Amino acid sequence: MPLDPILIHACALALAAILATAATHKLRAPRWFAAQLEAYALLPQALLAPVARLLPLVEGAVAVALLLPASRSAAALAAAALLAVYAGAIAVNLWRGRRDIDCGCAGPGESQPLRPVLLSRNAALLGLAVLAALPPLPRALGLFDGFVALAAAAVLLLLYAAADGLLTNAPRLLKLTGR
Amino acid sequence: MEALIVSNILLWVLLIALAFVLMGLVRQIGVLHGRLAPAGALMIDKGVAVNEPAPKVTAADRNGRPVNFGYPSDKGQLLFFLSPTCPICKSLLPAVKAIGKARKDLEVVYVSDGDLDAQAALIREFALEDASYVVGPEVGMTYQIGKLPYAALIDAAGVLRAKGLVNSREHLDSLFEAERMGIASLQDYLHKPDNAVKIHQ
Repeated sequence: MPLDPILIHACALALAAILATAATHKLRAPRWFAAQLEAYALLPQALLAPVARLLPLVEGAVAVALLLPASRSAAALAAAALLAVYAGAIAVNLWRGRRDIDCGCAGPGESQPLRPVLLSRNAALLGLAVLAALPPLPRALGLFDGFVALAAAAVLLLLYAAADGLLTNAPRLLKLTGR
Repeated sequence: MEALIVSNILLWVLLIALAFVLMGLVRQIGVLHGRLAPAGALMIDKGVAVNEPAPKVTAADRNGRPVNFGYPSDKGQLLFFLSPTCPICKSLLPAVKAIGKARKDLEVVYVSDGDLDAQAALIREFALEDASYVVGPEVGMTYQIGKLPYAALIDAAGVLRAKGLVNSREHLDSLFEAERMGIASLQDYLHKPDNAVKIHQ
C-alpha cells in the first residue's frame, strides 16, 4: 500500500533520531549497557560483551540507513525487527515476573522498572517503523513538502520524548502516593 | 492558496512550540519527583515488627563460624540480604561496605542463598573474603524476606530497629535515620497526619 511521501519521510526521520539517541547513550555508557544486558538474563555470559558492543553500532547504522532514500525501507524493516526483539526481551522478563529490573530504555539516569506499558511504547515505535517501510506514492516534492516532513518529525520526536518522560514519572508518582 | 500555506506554516510552528512546552513540563515534573520522592527504605508489612525483639537465629557463615542473629551483644548488626543474581544488590555493596567501615559499633552481616560458585565469584569481585557472609535460607525465612536487596538493623540489645527494601544509598541511610528517631519507617512517619502536614508546609 503506497503512502504519501511526507508521512514516510517524517516517520523515517523521527525513527532515525530515536535510534541515534539510543545508540549514543549506549556508546557513552558501555559498562552500564553491558550490566543492563546482563540484568535481562537472556544471553549466555560469553555473548554479553560482543552483543553489548555490537548493538549500539547496529542501531547507529540503521539510523543512518533510514535517512538515505535507497536503503530506507530495508532499514525501516531492520528497525522494526530490532524493536520487536527489544519488546520480546521485555515480554520474556515480564513473563518471568522480573518487574524489579531496570528497563534501560532511555539511558542511565532515566531508570524505570519493567512494566507492560513499555510494550505499548515499543508497539508505537514499531508502527512508525512499519509506516516508514511502505513504498511512497510517486509525486513531485517541493520545498514546502520538505518543511512539513521536517516539522512533523520534530513534533513526533518531542511528543515521544514527552510520552517517555510521563512513562518514567509514572512509577515515581505511585511511590510518592505510597501505593 | 497563499493564505492557506502561511496558516499551515504558522500552525506547524505553533504545534512544535506546544510540543516543546509539553516536553519541558514533563521534564520539570521528573526533576520535582527526583527531589521530592521520600528517600526511605520501603517496608513491606510482614515478618517481624520494628522495635520488637528480633527473632533469634544462628547460622554458619561461609567459613563455618556460627553467626548469631538477634541475640544481645556488644555490637549492633546490619543484615544485608542479597543475591548474586540481583544487579541492584551488587550496586549497593560498596555503600554497605562503607557503612561497615564507618560504624565500628555495627557488625555487617551479608545474607544470601543459592549457588555457591556464584557466591564465591561475588565475594571475589567485591573483596568480601573477611566479611561475615552467610549462605543459607534459614535467616531469610526467619525474617520473612521476600524482596531483595533488603536490609535490617538490629541494635546491641537484640531489638529490630529498622528494616526495609533498599534500592539506593539513601534508602540505607534512611534505616539509620529511622533508628535514630525511633520510628518504624519513613512511610510510617509520612502517614502520621501531623508529620505529612509538616513536610508539605
